[in-house]
Amino acid sequence: MAEFVQLLFNGLVTGSILAMAAVGVSLVYGVLRLVNFAAGDFMTLGAFIAVFLSISKGLPLIFSVIVAILGICLLGLALDWLLWKRLRDNKAGTLALFLVATGVALILRQSILMIFSSGSRKFAINETATFGFLGAQIATSQLIVLLLATSAIITLGLFMAKSTIGKDMRAFSDNASLAAVSGINVNKVVRYVWIINGILSALAGIFQGMVQGRFDSTMGWTLLLPIFAAVVLGTIGDAYGALLGGMTLGLVMEMSTWHIFFGGIPSSYKPVVAFATLGIVLLVKPEGLLGVKARSI
Amino acid sequence: MNAFVQPGFWIFVLLMAGIYCIFALGLQVQYGLGGILNFGHVAMMALSSYTMAILVITYNWNLYLACFAGVVMAGLGGAFLGLTTLRLRGDYFSIVSIAFSEIVRYIIHNSDHLTGGAQGSLNIPSTRGFASYTDQFNKVLINIQGKIKPIFGSFASRDMALLLIVWLSAIILLICMSFIQRTSWARVLRATREDDDVPASLGKNVFLFRLSAVILGSVVGGIAGIYWALEFSILDPADFQTIVTFFAWMVIILGGATRVKGVPLGALFFGFLYAGTRFFQFPPFTWFDSVQRAYLRIMIIGFVLIFLMLKRPQGIFGKRAEMVLE
Repeated sequence: MAEFVQLLFNGLVTGSILAMAAVGVSLVYGVLRLVNFAAGDFMTLGAFIAVFLSISKGLPLIFSVIVAILGICLLGLALDWLLWKRLRDNKAGTLALFLVATGVALILRQSILMIFSSGSRKFAINETATFGFLGAQIATSQLIVLLLATSAIITLGLFMAKSTIGKDMRAFSDNASLAAVSGINVNKVVRYVWIINGILSALAGIFQGMVQGRFDSTMGWTLLLPIFAAVVLGTIGDAYGALLGGMTLGLVMEMSTWHIFFGGIPSSYKPVVAFATLGIVLLVKPEGLLGVKARSI
Repeated sequence: MNAFVQPGFWIFVLLMAGIYCIFALGLQVQYGLGGILNFGHVAMMALSSYTMAILVITYNWNLYLACFAGVVMAGLGGAFLGLTTLRLRGDYFSIVSIAFSEIVRYIIHNSDHLTGGAQGSLNIPSTRGFASYTDQFNKVLINIQGKIKPIFGSFASRDMALLLIVWLSAIILLICMSFIQRTSWARVLRATREDDDVPASLGKNVFLFRLSAVILGSVVGGIAGIYWALEFSILDPADFQTIVTFFAWMVIILGGATRVKGVPLGALFFGFLYAGTRFFQFPPFTWFDSVQRAYLRIMIIGFVLIFLMLKRPQGIFGKRAEMVLE
């Protein structure tokens, strides 16, 4: 029982972080048709900026987090202006978008190494502080991360459902040309997508850094594949699906280490478990968990 | 002496370009003909090289038989990837193919008793107490070295002998691929690039055509893996990261995305770009220390990739019209 509660809790923490990042990736794909390979490195950069300001410069943590979020939002907007807008105007194909996104990911990761130098980082939080709950040891920092991530996701959900720009975004993901014809400001939607993505990626990166304890420049890339798995699992381009996919994968990844499953799958195989789950779901339901089968004409 | 002017270094660069040429040829078959965006190609190299090394070291197989088995394993890997994921939409397939290659790498990294795990092929369990798979091949190379000594003189190194074998294979494969391009199989595949419905309405099983393209490409990628293993004599799971697949994509893009003949040119260009930047001894490169320069080299690859896709998506040697038409 204690082990179950522990793994359930770990799964919820992992799942909420995955879900945040996956919603960002899914939103970017839904509106821009761009598979953002740099998403993981956006997260890493956010965590590095926050840790740099709060630890090396001694600034308050909350201030550092806000600067990190602003930084990632600006990065997204700048990249859109520099690259993605041009590629959209050129009507670039999938391959071009994939390769440019990979190029961005490589440059970002190497820049992080160059600016902040290699080696691992750590936030000034006490991750060993725990309390007992139903026999499980719950880390206070993880609980705070879980609460913050959940409230961020709920806020985003409300924003997407209630605000005009949220409705515009959903309209755009459903049918871009129809949305544009009906007078939705394309540039405004694109700007908001990058801002929301910036907030989500930076927070997800910082939260992951806090939960992990120590992290280095490969943190985001390691997480990118489970994030993609979550996005595809929940039907690519569907923000609510990404949320569901992220939570599902987080739970599956953590639960797989439970000893009742073949004595527990070694934790180093967690990414493999994430993809095996994705593979099984895609075989049974190729359109994703929430997806609808495309109607053929 | 500066390594930049040592012939041995340039022989190594050419040799690696040859291996990348073969590796990228496998990807070219899939993309150039079928428009398949495979981003997990590096898995085929990992599968063939590790299969070969394990069979030789643990099971004392003959090297050539093991090489063959390795290439077959790469083909099986391609078949598995294709059978499970090719029915997915294009962008799903690309993401899942990356996942496939990362899973292969994770498994290799974590299976200490089979693959040697994180310590690489040196740690593969051996009955002879010495984990090497190149003994048999080194004798062949020494033999070739002796034969080419009169022609190349002091340049007749181990790398030089392997260089000749690799580029000879690359040229043979290139000829095969150019020949395959003219077959009816290739014509159907090209048709599937545009649209599934037209070839399907002519009674062609689109899925089988795509699957065979993925398997063929994987076999060619597997051959590259064998040469990779023979060159380095040691395998490390970290050698088979996703970035290697992107190197192959860069070779293809540089060579002109739809042209088989562009692949060797792209490979040479890439080889010099990637290896050559290590020895740039002028500003702005001298502002950085050697560690930072290693980061800078990968960044340059990123910049070139972005620049090409923005300015010349058809590649340096490609024609734009071909990309639009095909």
